[in-house]
Amino acid sequence: MITGMDRLTAAIRGEEADRIPIFCNLLDQGAAELGVSLQDYYARGESVAEGQLRMLRKYGHDNVWSLFYVGKEAELLGCQRILYSAEGPPNVEDFVIHSWDDIARLEVPADIPSHPAFTEVGKCLQILKNEVGGKNPICAYITSTMTLPALLMGMEKWMELLFAGPPGPCEELLRKCHEFFVKEVAAYRQGGADVLIYSNPFGSADTVPMKYFLQRSLPWIEKDIQAVGAGGMVYYCGMARLNSVLSAVIERTGIGACYLSPLDDLAVGKRLIGDRGLTCGVINDIQLISWTRQEIRQEVKRILDVGMPGGRFLFGTGVMPLMIPEASIRAMLEAAFEYGSQGGKGA
Amino acid sequence: MLARIIADYNEAVFDTDRERALQIVRDAERQGISPEDLVFKVVLPAMDAMVNALSDQFSVNLAQHFMTAQISDAVTAEMIPKFHQAPEVAGRVVIGTAYGDMHTLGKRMVIGCLRARMVEVTDLGVNVAAERFVEEALAHDARVIAISALMLHTATGELGCRKVRRLLHERGLEDRIKIMVGGAPFRFHDGLYRIVGADAWAPDAISAGKAMAELLQEVKK
Repeated sequence: MITGMDRLTAAIRGEEADRIPIFCNLLDQGAAELGVSLQDYYARGESVAEGQLRMLRKYGHDNVWSLFYVGKEAELLGCQRILYSAEGPPNVEDFVIHSWDDIARLEVPADIPSHPAFTEVGKCLQILKNEVGGKNPICAYITSTMTLPALLMGMEKWMELLFAGPPGPCEELLRKCHEFFVKEVAAYRQGGADVLIYSNPFGSADTVPMKYFLQRSLPWIEKDIQAVGAGGMVYYCGMARLNSVLSAVIERTGIGACYLSPLDDLAVGKRLIGDRGLTCGVINDIQLISWTRQEIRQEVKRILDVGMPGGRFLFGTGVMPLMIPEASIRAMLEAAFEYGSQGGKGA
Repeated sequence: MLARIIADYNEAVFDTDRERALQIVRDAERQGISPEDLVFKVVLPAMDAMVNALSDQFSVNLAQHFMTAQISDAVTAEMIPKFHQAPEVAGRVVIGTAYGDMHTLGKRMVIGCLRARMVEVTDLGVNVAAERFVEEALAHDARVIAISALMLHTATGELGCRKVRRLLHERGLEDRIKIMVGGAPFRFHDGLYRIVGADAWAPDAISAGKAMAELLQEVKK
Protein backbone atom coordinates (compact mmCIF):
# COMPACT_ATOMS: atom_id res chain seq x y z
CA MET A 1 0.00 0.00 0.00
CA ILE A 2 1.34 3.40 -0.97
CA THR A 3 1.90 5.66 2.02
CA GLY A 4 2.01 9.42 2.39
CA MET A 5 5.77 9.19 2.73
CA ASP A 6 5.97 7.20 -0.53
CA ARG A 7 4.01 9.94 -2.29
CA LEU A 8 6.23 12.67 -0.90
CA THR A 9 9.42 10.80 -1.77
CA ALA A 10 8.16 10.12 -5.30
CA ALA A 11 7.27 13.76 -5.82
CA ILE A 12 10.68 14.92 -4.58
CA ARG A 13 12.37 12.52 -7.01
CA GLY A 14 10.17 13.63 -9.88
CA GLU A 15 8.45 10.24 -10.05
CA GLU A 16 4.77 9.37 -10.00
CA ALA A 17 2.82 7.66 -7.22
CA ASP A 18 -0.90 6.87 -7.07
CA ARG A 19 -1.46 10.58 -6.59
CA ILE A 20 0.44 13.72 -5.66
CA PRO A 21 1.22 14.30 -1.96
CA ILE A 22 -1.44 16.33 -0.17
CA PHE A 23 -0.62 18.28 2.98
CA CYS A 24 -3.66 19.44 4.94
CA ASN A 25 -2.62 21.41 7.98
CA LEU A 26 -5.27 20.76 10.61
CA LEU A 27 -4.16 21.83 14.09
CA ASP A 28 -6.93 23.24 16.29
CA GLN A 29 -9.42 20.84 14.69
CA GLY A 30 -7.92 18.04 16.78
CA ALA A 31 -9.37 19.56 19.97
CA ALA A 32 -12.89 19.57 18.55
CA GLU A 33 -12.41 15.98 17.44
CA LEU A 34 -11.46 14.98 20.98
CA GLY A 35 -14.22 17.13 22.49
CA VAL A 36 -11.88 19.18 24.68
CA SER A 37 -11.03 22.87 24.92
CA LEU A 38 -8.02 24.15 23.02
CA GLN A 39 -6.28 24.93 26.30
CA ASP A 40 -6.75 21.37 27.59
CA TYR A 41 -5.83 19.95 24.20
CA TYR A 42 -2.51 21.77 23.97
CA ALA A 43 -1.66 20.99 27.60
CA ARG A 44 -1.00 17.32 26.74
CA GLY A 45 1.23 15.91 24.04
CA GLU A 46 -0.85 12.73 24.04
CA SER A 47 -3.95 14.77 23.10
CA VAL A 48 -2.22 16.57 20.25
CA ALA A 49 -0.82 13.32 18.87
CA GLU A 50 -4.21 11.63 19.16
CA GLY A 51 -5.86 14.64 17.45
CA GLN A 52 -3.39 14.44 14.58
CA LEU A 53 -3.89 10.71 14.14
CA ARG A 54 -7.66 11.08 14.15
CA MET A 55 -7.41 13.87 11.55
CA LEU A 56 -5.32 11.59 9.38
CA ARG A 57 -7.82 8.72 9.64
CA LYS A 58 -10.78 11.01 9.10
CA TYR A 59 -9.57 12.88 6.03
CA GLY A 60 -6.89 10.68 4.48
CA HIS A 61 -4.35 13.38 3.66
CA ASP A 62 -0.64 12.63 3.95
CA ASN A 63 0.97 14.60 6.78
CA VAL A 64 0.77 15.02 10.55
CA TRP A 65 1.99 17.91 12.68
CA SER A 66 4.04 18.15 15.84
CA LEU A 67 3.25 21.88 16.04
CA PHE A 68 1.07 22.89 18.98
CA TYR A 69 0.94 26.65 18.31
CA VAL A 70 3.53 29.12 17.11
CA GLY A 71 3.88 30.76 20.54
CA LYS A 72 5.48 27.51 21.78
CA GLU A 73 8.82 28.84 20.57
CA ALA A 74 8.36 31.97 22.68
CA GLU A 75 7.61 29.72 25.68
CA LEU A 76 10.91 27.92 25.13
CA LEU A 77 12.58 31.32 25.35
CA GLY A 78 10.81 32.46 28.51
CA CYS A 79 7.26 33.54 27.59
CA GLN A 80 5.01 32.92 30.59
CA ARG A 81 1.62 33.97 29.31
CA ILE A 82 -0.33 32.53 26.41
CA LEU A 83 -3.79 33.82 25.54
CA TYR A 84 -6.25 31.03 24.71
CA SER A 85 -9.40 31.41 22.71
CA ALA A 86 -12.25 28.99 22.03
CA GLU A 87 -12.28 30.01 18.38
CA GLY A 88 -8.68 29.89 17.18
CA PRO A 89 -5.02 29.37 17.90
CA PRO A 90 -3.38 30.52 21.14
CA ASN A 91 -1.42 33.76 21.06
CA VAL A 92 1.60 35.13 22.90
CA GLU A 93 0.04 37.42 25.52
CA ASP A 94 3.17 38.81 27.12
CA PHE A 95 6.36 39.30 25.18
CA VAL A 96 9.71 38.09 26.49
CA ILE A 97 11.43 41.28 25.33
CA HIS A 98 9.83 44.53 26.47
CA SER A 99 12.83 46.80 25.98
CA TRP A 100 16.10 46.50 24.11
CA ASP A 101 17.82 45.96 27.47
CA ASP A 102 15.97 42.63 27.79
CA ILE A 103 17.93 41.29 24.82
CA ALA A 104 21.08 40.97 26.92
CA ARG A 105 19.07 38.97 29.48
CA LEU A 106 17.52 36.61 26.92
CA GLU A 107 18.70 33.07 27.56
CA VAL A 108 18.76 30.34 24.94
CA PRO A 109 17.99 26.99 26.59
CA ALA A 110 21.04 24.78 26.89
CA ASP A 111 19.06 21.69 25.94
CA ILE A 112 15.69 21.98 24.24
CA PRO A 113 14.47 18.34 24.56
CA SER A 114 14.76 18.56 28.35
CA HIS A 115 13.14 22.00 28.60
CA PRO A 116 9.77 21.89 30.43
CA ALA A 117 8.08 23.79 27.58
CA PHE A 118 9.17 21.03 25.17
CA THR A 119 8.09 18.06 27.31
CA GLU A 120 4.62 17.70 25.79
CA VAL A 121 5.95 18.33 22.26
CA GLY A 122 8.45 15.53 22.87
CA LYS A 123 5.65 13.17 23.97
CA CYS A 124 3.61 14.10 20.90
CA LEU A 125 6.55 13.46 18.59
CA GLN A 126 7.24 10.10 20.23
CA ILE A 127 3.66 8.92 19.71
CA LEU A 128 3.55 10.15 16.12
CA LYS A 129 6.88 8.47 15.41
CA ASN A 130 5.65 5.19 16.88
CA GLU A 131 2.31 5.28 15.11
CA VAL A 132 3.06 6.72 11.67
CA GLY A 133 6.82 7.28 11.52
CA GLY A 134 8.16 6.41 8.07
CA LYS A 135 4.60 6.15 6.73
CA ASN A 136 3.37 9.72 6.99
CA PRO A 137 5.61 12.80 6.96
CA ILE A 138 5.81 14.29 10.46
CA CYS A 139 5.98 18.07 10.15
CA ALA A 140 7.61 20.53 12.48
CA TYR A 141 7.38 24.32 12.38
CA ILE A 142 10.63 26.21 12.91
CA THR A 143 10.76 29.98 12.84
CA SER A 144 13.82 31.42 11.13
CA THR A 145 16.45 33.53 12.87
CA MET A 146 15.29 36.67 11.12
CA THR A 147 11.63 36.20 12.07
CA LEU A 148 11.84 34.74 15.58
CA PRO A 149 12.35 38.17 17.25
CA ALA A 150 8.81 39.11 16.16
CA LEU A 151 7.51 36.37 18.47
CA LEU A 152 9.66 37.61 21.33
CA MET A 153 9.01 41.34 21.12
CA GLY A 154 6.12 41.80 18.68
CA MET A 155 6.28 42.69 15.02
CA GLU A 156 6.15 46.42 15.72
CA LYS A 157 9.13 46.57 18.06
CA TRP A 158 11.12 44.16 15.88
CA MET A 159 10.55 46.31 12.78
CA GLU A 160 11.62 49.34 14.75
CA LEU A 161 14.80 47.67 15.98
CA LEU A 162 15.60 46.17 12.61
CA PHE A 163 15.14 49.31 10.54
CA ALA A 164 15.85 52.16 12.92
CA GLY A 165 17.34 50.75 16.11
CA PRO A 166 20.90 50.44 17.37
CA PRO A 167 22.84 47.70 15.54
CA GLY A 168 24.34 46.20 18.71
CA PRO A 169 21.17 44.85 20.33
CA CYS A 170 19.80 43.88 16.92
CA GLU A 171 22.84 41.73 16.10
CA GLU A 172 22.91 40.23 19.58
CA LEU A 173 19.26 39.23 19.28
CA LEU A 174 19.80 37.70 15.83
CA ARG A 175 22.80 35.78 17.11
CA LYS A 176 20.77 34.36 20.01
CA CYS A 177 17.84 33.51 17.74
CA HIS A 178 20.19 31.69 15.39
CA GLU A 179 21.63 29.69 18.28
CA PHE A 180 18.09 28.78 19.31
CA PHE A 181 17.13 27.91 15.74
CA VAL A 182 19.99 25.44 15.40
CA LYS A 183 19.13 23.74 18.69
CA GLU A 184 15.43 23.65 17.88
CA VAL A 185 15.98 21.98 14.51
CA ALA A 186 18.18 19.37 16.20
CA ALA A 187 15.50 18.75 18.85
CA TYR A 188 12.74 18.19 16.31
CA ARG A 189 14.90 15.98 14.10
CA GLN A 190 15.94 13.95 17.11
CA GLY A 191 12.26 13.63 18.06
CA GLY A 192 11.37 12.20 14.66
CA ALA A 193 10.24 15.13 12.52
CA ASP A 194 10.95 14.59 8.81
CA VAL A 195 9.62 17.80 7.26
CA LEU A 196 10.79 21.07 8.77
CA ILE A 197 8.80 24.09 7.72
CA TYR A 198 11.30 26.95 7.81
CA SER A 199 8.99 29.89 8.45
CA ASN A 200 10.43 33.21 7.40
CA PRO A 201 8.11 36.11 6.56
CA PHE A 202 11.19 38.34 6.75
CA GLY A 203 12.52 36.33 3.83
CA SER A 204 9.78 37.65 1.55
CA ALA A 205 9.89 40.81 -0.53
CA ASP A 206 6.33 41.41 0.69
CA THR A 207 7.80 42.15 4.10
CA VAL A 208 11.15 43.78 3.35
CA PRO A 209 12.48 45.58 0.26
CA MET A 210 14.35 43.33 -2.17
CA LYS A 211 17.58 45.23 -1.59
CA TYR A 212 17.23 44.62 2.13
CA PHE A 213 16.38 40.96 1.52
CA LEU A 214 19.61 40.49 -0.43
CA GLN A 215 21.76 42.39 2.04
CA ARG A 216 20.32 41.21 5.35
CA SER A 217 17.70 38.43 5.10
CA LEU A 218 19.47 36.17 2.64
CA PRO A 219 22.77 35.97 4.57
CA TRP A 220 20.82 34.90 7.68
CA ILE A 221 18.88 32.31 5.65
CA GLU A 222 22.18 30.95 4.33
CA LYS A 223 23.63 30.86 7.82
CA ASP A 224 20.55 29.06 9.19
CA ILE A 225 20.48 26.40 6.50
CA GLN A 226 24.25 25.88 6.42
CA ALA A 227 24.16 25.27 10.17
CA VAL A 228 21.47 22.58 10.06
CA GLY A 229 21.64 21.23 6.50
CA ALA A 230 18.90 21.53 3.89
CA GLY A 231 17.54 18.00 4.43
CA GLY A 232 13.79 18.08 4.98
CA MET A 233 13.69 21.90 5.04
CA VAL A 234 10.80 23.65 3.32
CA TYR A 235 11.02 27.36 2.58
CA TYR A 236 7.87 29.16 3.67
CA CYS A 237 7.13 32.84 4.26
CA GLY A 238 4.00 32.64 6.38
CA MET A 239 1.57 33.22 3.50
CA ALA A 240 3.63 36.14 2.18
CA ARG A 241 4.73 35.73 -1.44
CA LEU A 242 8.07 34.17 -2.27
CA ASN A 243 8.31 33.97 -6.05
CA SER A 244 10.66 36.95 -6.23
CA VAL A 245 13.16 35.38 -3.82
CA LEU A 246 12.87 31.72 -4.89
CA SER A 247 15.89 31.57 -7.17
CA ALA A 248 18.20 33.27 -4.68
CA VAL A 249 17.07 31.00 -1.84
CA ILE A 250 17.43 27.79 -3.85
CA GLU A 251 20.81 28.75 -5.31
CA ARG A 252 22.32 29.96 -2.07
CA THR A 253 20.94 27.34 0.35
CA GLY A 254 20.15 24.19 -1.59
CA ILE A 255 16.68 24.03 -0.01
CA GLY A 256 14.73 21.47 -2.01
CA ALA A 257 11.11 22.45 -1.35
CA CYS A 258 9.25 25.76 -1.44
CA TYR A 259 5.78 26.32 0.03
CA LEU A 260 4.30 29.13 -2.04
CA SER A 261 1.79 31.72 -0.96
CA PRO A 262 -1.74 31.51 -2.37
CA LEU A 263 -1.01 35.04 -3.58
CA ASP A 264 1.98 33.88 -5.63
CA ASP A 265 1.51 33.17 -9.32
CA LEU A 266 1.81 29.38 -9.18
CA ALA A 267 2.83 29.02 -12.83
CA VAL A 268 5.71 31.43 -12.27
CA GLY A 269 6.73 29.71 -9.04
CA LYS A 270 6.68 26.28 -10.67
CA ARG A 271 8.80 27.53 -13.56
CA LEU A 272 11.31 29.18 -11.23
CA ILE A 273 11.70 26.08 -9.08
CA GLY A 274 11.66 23.75 -12.08
CA ASP A 275 13.60 20.55 -11.52
CA ARG A 276 15.55 22.07 -8.66
CA GLY A 277 12.99 21.10 -6.07
CA LEU A 278 9.45 20.40 -4.95
CA THR A 279 6.84 23.08 -5.66
CA CYS A 280 4.11 23.26 -3.03
CA GLY A 281 0.98 24.92 -4.45
CA VAL A 282 -1.18 26.32 -1.68
CA ILE A 283 -4.90 26.99 -1.61
CA ASN A 284 -6.25 30.21 -0.07
CA ASP A 285 -7.84 28.53 2.92
CA ILE A 286 -9.37 31.73 4.29
CA GLN A 287 -11.73 31.56 1.31
CA LEU A 288 -12.73 28.05 2.34
CA ILE A 289 -14.92 29.55 5.07
CA SER A 290 -17.40 30.73 2.46
CA TRP A 291 -16.69 29.04 -0.88
CA THR A 292 -19.30 26.59 -2.16
CA ARG A 293 -18.40 22.98 -2.91
CA GLN A 294 -18.28 23.85 -6.59
CA GLU A 295 -16.00 26.84 -6.02
CA ILE A 296 -13.67 24.72 -3.90
CA ARG A 297 -13.46 22.01 -6.56
CA GLN A 298 -12.78 24.58 -9.28
CA GLU A 299 -9.98 26.18 -7.30
CA VAL A 300 -8.34 22.85 -6.44
CA LYS A 301 -8.53 21.85 -10.10
CA ARG A 302 -7.03 25.17 -11.18
CA ILE A 303 -4.10 24.75 -8.80
CA LEU A 304 -3.44 21.15 -9.86
CA ASP A 305 -3.79 21.94 -13.57
CA VAL A 306 -1.05 24.53 -13.19
CA GLY A 307 1.16 22.66 -10.74
CA MET A 308 1.10 19.00 -11.77
CA PRO A 309 2.57 19.08 -15.30
CA GLY A 310 6.25 18.17 -15.05
CA GLY A 311 5.80 16.52 -11.64
CA ARG A 312 7.61 17.50 -8.43
CA PHE A 313 4.40 18.99 -7.06
CA LEU A 314 2.60 18.93 -3.72
CA PHE A 315 -0.83 20.36 -2.93
CA GLY A 316 -1.06 22.09 0.42
CA THR A 317 -3.03 24.37 2.69
CA GLY A 318 -2.08 27.13 5.10
CA VAL A 319 -2.87 26.57 8.76
CA MET A 320 -6.53 25.71 8.27
CA PRO A 321 -8.75 28.01 10.37
CA LEU A 322 -11.06 26.28 12.81
CA MET A 323 -14.14 27.88 11.30
CA ILE A 324 -13.81 26.09 7.94
CA PRO A 325 -16.81 23.75 7.73
CA GLU A 326 -15.96 20.05 7.78
CA ALA A 327 -17.85 19.61 4.50
CA SER A 328 -15.53 22.15 2.88
CA ILE A 329 -12.42 20.34 4.11
CA ARG A 330 -13.82 17.14 2.64
CA ALA A 331 -14.75 18.82 -0.64
CA MET A 332 -11.23 20.24 -0.96
CA LEU A 333 -9.56 16.91 -0.23
CA GLU A 334 -11.89 14.88 -2.45
CA ALA A 335 -11.09 17.22 -5.31
CA ALA A 336 -7.36 17.01 -4.56
CA PHE A 337 -7.49 13.18 -4.47
CA GLU A 338 -9.47 13.10 -7.71
CA TYR A 339 -7.60 15.69 -9.77
CA GLY A 340 -4.27 14.79 -8.17
CA SER A 341 -4.46 11.18 -9.28
CA GLN A 342 -1.38 9.98 -11.19
CA GLY A 343 -1.75 6.25 -11.58
CA GLY A 344 1.86 5.49 -10.73
CA LYS A 345 2.99 2.82 -8.29
CA GLY A 346 5.00 5.07 -6.04
CA ALA A 347 8.54 5.13 -4.83
CA MET B 1 13.17 73.57 -4.79
CA LEU B 2 10.03 71.88 -3.47
CA ALA B 3 10.12 69.36 -6.31
CA ARG B 4 13.67 68.32 -5.29
CA ILE B 5 12.62 68.01 -1.64
CA ILE B 6 9.62 65.88 -2.58
CA ALA B 7 11.79 63.59 -4.74
CA ASP B 8 14.45 63.20 -2.02
CA TYR B 9 11.85 62.61 0.69
CA ASN B 10 10.02 59.99 -1.41
CA GLU B 11 13.29 58.19 -2.07
CA ALA B 12 14.18 58.12 1.63
CA VAL B 13 10.72 56.81 2.53
CA PHE B 14 10.85 54.07 -0.11
CA ASP B 15 14.33 53.16 1.18
CA THR B 16 12.85 52.86 4.71
CA ASP B 17 15.45 55.40 5.88
CA ARG B 18 13.75 57.29 8.68
CA GLU B 19 16.74 59.41 9.69
CA ARG B 20 17.38 60.63 6.15
CA ALA B 21 13.68 61.45 5.63
CA LEU B 22 13.55 63.45 8.85
CA GLN B 23 16.77 65.24 7.96
CA ILE B 24 15.37 66.22 4.54
CA VAL B 25 12.30 67.71 6.22
CA ARG B 26 14.37 69.63 8.81
CA ASP B 27 16.75 70.96 6.16
CA ALA B 28 13.79 72.05 4.04
CA GLU B 29 12.30 73.91 6.99
CA ARG B 30 15.61 75.70 7.55
CA GLN B 31 15.59 76.68 3.87
CA GLY B 32 12.25 78.41 4.39
CA ILE B 33 9.65 75.83 3.37
CA SER B 34 6.63 76.30 5.63
CA PRO B 35 5.56 73.55 8.03
CA GLU B 36 2.17 73.50 6.28
CA ASP B 37 3.81 72.87 2.90
CA LEU B 38 6.01 70.17 4.38
CA VAL B 39 2.98 68.25 5.65
CA PHE B 40 0.53 68.92 2.82
CA LYS B 41 2.88 69.05 -0.16
CA VAL B 42 5.57 66.56 0.89
CA VAL B 43 4.34 64.06 3.49
CA LEU B 44 0.78 63.49 2.27
CA PRO B 45 1.70 63.24 -1.43
CA ALA B 46 4.37 60.68 -0.48
CA MET B 47 1.68 58.54 1.13
CA ASP B 48 -0.55 58.98 -1.92
CA ALA B 49 2.39 58.01 -4.13
CA MET B 50 2.65 54.78 -2.19
CA VAL B 51 -1.07 54.09 -2.61
CA ASN B 52 -0.66 54.68 -6.34
CA ALA B 53 2.39 52.42 -6.43
CA LEU B 54 0.27 49.71 -4.82
CA SER B 55 -2.54 50.08 -7.31
CA ASP B 56 -0.02 50.11 -10.15
CA GLN B 57 1.25 46.70 -8.96
CA PHE B 58 4.65 48.02 -7.96
CA SER B 59 6.26 46.11 -5.19
CA VAL B 60 5.63 47.94 -1.94
CA ASN B 61 6.30 45.95 1.19
CA LEU B 62 5.40 45.93 4.83
CA ALA B 63 8.64 47.59 5.92
CA GLN B 64 8.02 50.50 3.57
CA HIS B 65 4.48 50.86 4.89
CA PHE B 66 5.73 50.77 8.45
CA MET B 67 8.45 53.34 7.92
CA THR B 68 6.18 55.61 5.85
CA ALA B 69 3.61 55.60 8.62
CA GLN B 70 6.24 56.22 11.27
CA ILE B 71 7.98 58.98 9.35
CA SER B 72 4.70 60.67 8.40
CA ASP B 73 3.56 60.57 12.03
CA ALA B 74 6.88 61.95 13.29
CA VAL B 75 7.04 64.77 10.75
CA THR B 76 3.41 65.74 11.34
CA ALA B 77 3.88 65.76 15.12
CA GLU B 78 6.96 67.98 14.71
CA MET B 79 5.38 70.38 12.22
CA ILE B 80 1.82 70.90 13.53
CA PRO B 81 2.87 73.01 16.55
CA LYS B 82 4.64 75.30 14.07
CA PHE B 83 1.57 75.86 11.85
CA HIS B 84 0.37 79.46 11.63
CA GLN B 85 -3.05 78.32 12.73
CA ALA B 86 -4.23 75.01 14.09
CA PRO B 87 -5.19 72.66 11.24
CA GLU B 88 -8.80 71.67 10.80
CA VAL B 89 -9.46 68.24 12.29
CA ALA B 90 -10.51 65.88 9.48
CA GLY B 91 -12.47 63.71 11.88
CA ARG B 92 -12.21 61.60 15.00
CA VAL B 93 -11.52 57.88 15.14
CA VAL B 94 -11.06 55.30 17.88
CA ILE B 95 -8.83 52.36 17.02
CA GLY B 96 -7.84 49.10 18.67
CA THR B 97 -7.17 45.46 17.96
CA ALA B 98 -10.11 43.08 17.96
CA TYR B 99 -11.06 41.19 21.09
CA GLY B 100 -8.52 38.40 21.62
CA ASP B 101 -5.95 39.91 19.26
CA MET B 102 -2.57 41.06 20.57
CA HIS B 103 -0.98 42.15 17.29
CA THR B 104 -0.19 45.86 17.23
CA LEU B 105 1.73 46.49 14.02
CA GLY B 106 -1.22 47.20 11.72
CA LYS B 107 -2.86 49.49 14.24
CA ARG B 108 0.35 51.43 14.78
CA MET B 109 0.80 51.96 11.05
CA VAL B 110 -2.77 53.11 10.54
CA ILE B 111 -2.48 55.56 13.44
CA GLY B 112 0.60 57.13 11.84
CA CYS B 113 -1.14 57.54 8.50
CA LEU B 114 -4.31 58.95 10.05
CA ARG B 115 -2.52 61.54 12.14
CA ALA B 116 -0.68 62.76 9.06
CA ARG B 117 -4.11 63.28 7.48
CA MET B 118 -5.19 65.44 10.43
CA VAL B 119 -7.47 62.76 11.85
CA GLU B 120 -7.70 62.77 15.65
CA VAL B 121 -7.03 59.20 16.76
CA THR B 122 -7.65 57.61 20.15
CA ASP B 123 -5.68 54.41 20.57
CA LEU B 124 -7.58 51.90 22.70
CA GLY B 125 -4.75 49.37 22.69
CA VAL B 126 -5.03 45.62 22.20
CA ASN B 127 -7.66 42.97 22.95
CA VAL B 128 -10.45 45.59 23.06
CA ALA B 129 -13.96 44.53 24.08
CA ALA B 130 -16.81 45.53 21.77
CA GLU B 131 -18.54 47.51 24.53
CA ARG B 132 -15.39 49.58 25.06
CA PHE B 133 -15.08 50.38 21.35
CA VAL B 134 -18.61 51.83 21.40
CA GLU B 135 -18.28 53.65 24.73
CA GLU B 136 -14.98 55.25 23.75
CA ALA B 137 -16.32 56.25 20.34
CA LEU B 138 -19.16 58.08 22.06
CA ALA B 139 -16.87 59.60 24.67
CA HIS B 140 -14.53 60.98 21.99
CA ASP B 141 -17.27 61.89 19.52
CA ALA B 142 -15.58 59.55 17.03
CA ARG B 143 -17.34 58.86 13.74
CA VAL B 144 -15.39 55.72 12.94
CA ILE B 145 -14.42 52.68 15.00
CA ALA B 146 -11.33 51.09 13.45
CA ILE B 147 -10.69 47.45 14.30
CA SER B 148 -7.45 45.66 13.45
CA ALA B 149 -7.25 41.84 13.44
CA LEU B 150 -4.40 39.63 12.34
CA MET B 151 -6.08 36.29 12.81
CA LEU B 152 -9.21 34.92 11.20
CA HIS B 153 -10.87 34.02 14.48
CA THR B 154 -10.36 37.49 15.94
CA ALA B 155 -11.50 39.09 12.69
CA THR B 156 -14.68 37.03 12.56
CA GLY B 157 -15.31 36.18 16.23
CA GLU B 158 -18.69 36.86 17.80
CA LEU B 159 -17.09 39.12 20.42
CA GLY B 160 -15.20 41.26 17.88
CA CYS B 161 -16.47 43.37 15.00
CA ARG B 162 -19.77 41.47 14.80
CA LYS B 163 -20.58 42.49 18.36
CA VAL B 164 -19.60 46.11 17.72
CA ARG B 165 -22.07 46.10 14.83
CA ARG B 166 -24.76 44.58 17.07
CA LEU B 167 -24.21 47.20 19.75
CA LEU B 168 -24.32 50.08 17.26
CA HIS B 169 -27.55 48.67 15.86
CA GLU B 170 -29.18 48.15 19.26
CA ARG B 171 -28.30 51.68 20.31
CA GLY B 172 -29.40 53.33 17.07
CA LEU B 173 -25.88 54.57 16.33
CA GLU B 174 -25.32 53.08 12.89
CA ASP B 175 -25.83 56.36 11.02
CA ARG B 176 -23.52 58.22 13.34
CA ILE B 177 -20.64 55.75 13.75
CA LYS B 178 -19.13 53.62 11.00
CA ILE B 179 -16.86 50.59 11.33
CA MET B 180 -13.65 50.05 9.39
CA VAL B 181 -11.58 46.87 9.61
CA GLY B 182 -8.15 45.79 8.45
CA GLY B 183 -5.63 43.00 8.86
CA ALA B 184 -4.32 39.93 7.08
CA PRO B 185 -7.54 37.86 6.92
CA PHE B 186 -9.30 40.62 5.01
CA ARG B 187 -6.56 40.57 2.38
CA PHE B 188 -7.23 36.90 1.71
CA HIS B 189 -11.01 37.26 1.47
CA ASP B 190 -12.47 40.24 -0.39
CA GLY B 191 -15.96 40.06 1.07
CA LEU B 192 -14.97 39.28 4.63
CA TYR B 193 -15.48 42.85 5.90
CA ARG B 194 -19.14 42.61 4.97
CA ILE B 195 -19.51 39.20 6.60
CA VAL B 196 -18.32 40.63 9.93
CA GLY B 197 -20.53 43.71 9.66
CA ALA B 198 -17.99 46.42 8.83
CA ASP B 199 -18.71 49.37 6.54
CA ALA B 200 -15.27 49.52 4.96
CA TRP B 201 -11.85 47.91 4.90
CA ALA B 202 -8.41 48.60 3.50
CA PRO B 203 -5.69 46.17 2.41
CA ASP B 204 -2.84 48.10 4.03
CA ALA B 205 -2.17 51.00 6.36
CA ILE B 206 -1.39 53.60 3.72
CA SER B 207 -4.59 52.83 1.81
CA ALA B 208 -6.43 52.79 5.15
CA GLY B 209 -5.49 56.44 5.71
CA LYS B 210 -7.05 57.43 2.40
CA ALA B 211 -10.10 55.16 2.80
CA MET B 212 -10.65 56.51 6.32
CA ALA B 213 -10.56 60.10 5.11
CA GLU B 214 -13.25 59.19 2.56
CA LEU B 215 -15.35 57.37 5.16
CA LEU B 216 -15.15 60.36 7.51
CA GLN B 217 -16.32 62.61 4.70
CA GLU B 218 -19.24 60.28 4.11
CA VAL B 219 -20.30 60.30 7.78
CA LYS B 220 -20.16 64.09 7.82
CA LYS B 221 -22.75 64.34 5.03
